[in-house]
Amino acid sequence: MEPAIQIAVETVGTVAVVTAVGDIDGNTAYLVEEQVLPLALPGSRLLLDLTKVPFMSSAGLRVLLALHRRVTGEAGRVVLVGLSEEIRDVMNATGFLGFFTVADTVPAGLTLIEGPPAA
Amino acid sequence: MTGRRKGRRMEPLQVIGAFERLAELRDYVERAAATAGLDRKASYRLCLAVDELATNAMTHGRPSPEHEIQLRLHAILEPATLRIVLEDTGKPYDPRQTPVPTNLNLPLEEREPGGLGVFFALQSADEFQYERAGDWNRNVLVVRRVAGDSGTQAG
Repeated sequence: MEPAIQIAVETVGTVAVVTAVGDIDGNTAYLVEEQVLPLALPGSRLLLDLTKVPFMSSAGLRVLLALHRRVTGEAGRVVLVGLSEEIRDVMNATGFLGFFTVADTVPAGLTLIEGPPAA
Repeated sequence: MTGRRKGRRMEPLQVIGAFERLAELRDYVERAAATAGLDRKASYRLCLAVDELATNAMTHGRPSPEHEIQLRLHAILEPATLRIVLEDTGKPYDPRQTPVPTNLNLPLEEREPGGLGVFFALQSADEFQYERAGDWNRNVLVVRRVAGDSGTQAG
């Protein structure tokens, strides 16, 4: 049976680029967590491409919360790319959006994350 | 209290309470929303609501870990509204009794995970009803239709 979500990790320069394809719900959120959290090493830079994630429930928000904590704790940086309007609305309503750096495209996200460190 | 309502009913969907079945529940809601002529955002919010309520029932509703629960979903198209009825055989649980999360403005570092799912569900419908019917929790999400297919005329 085909897995409900596909997750690919590649390295672009100093950035770990994670691409998820599929819905992030109670069935798949743990798979994202298992793949993504270990990448949050000291000073790491992570780009999470969600362009092909049409749906994300609060199970996905919990993973983003865990990721934000881990990355912040390790003095790293994370950027979220390609949030759909609907997912963006939900993140906004829950106050999540303001804590993340977001970009529309992977190249824009790479530029943001490779830029000078935030003051 | 819930007399037999007129309106066009979609064939109900019944599944066991397993996370693998969430996508089927969302697909059903998406089809109902499309038939009712809801826009993309309204359809998404309804899918999210059903997903969160179902996830909640699967996670917290089992009387014991080895106990399977059943979920049943049906949609009723009325001239002015779409009603989505989600029922489960989990422990009695009225989502309206769940406190509204108060930490939505806190920095993420200080958040407690959880509590958001039910919040989304209750926010997603124009009207939300709950009742315990025998062994079933019955959640009813009512969404106003703007235009489009008018279904069967009531009355």
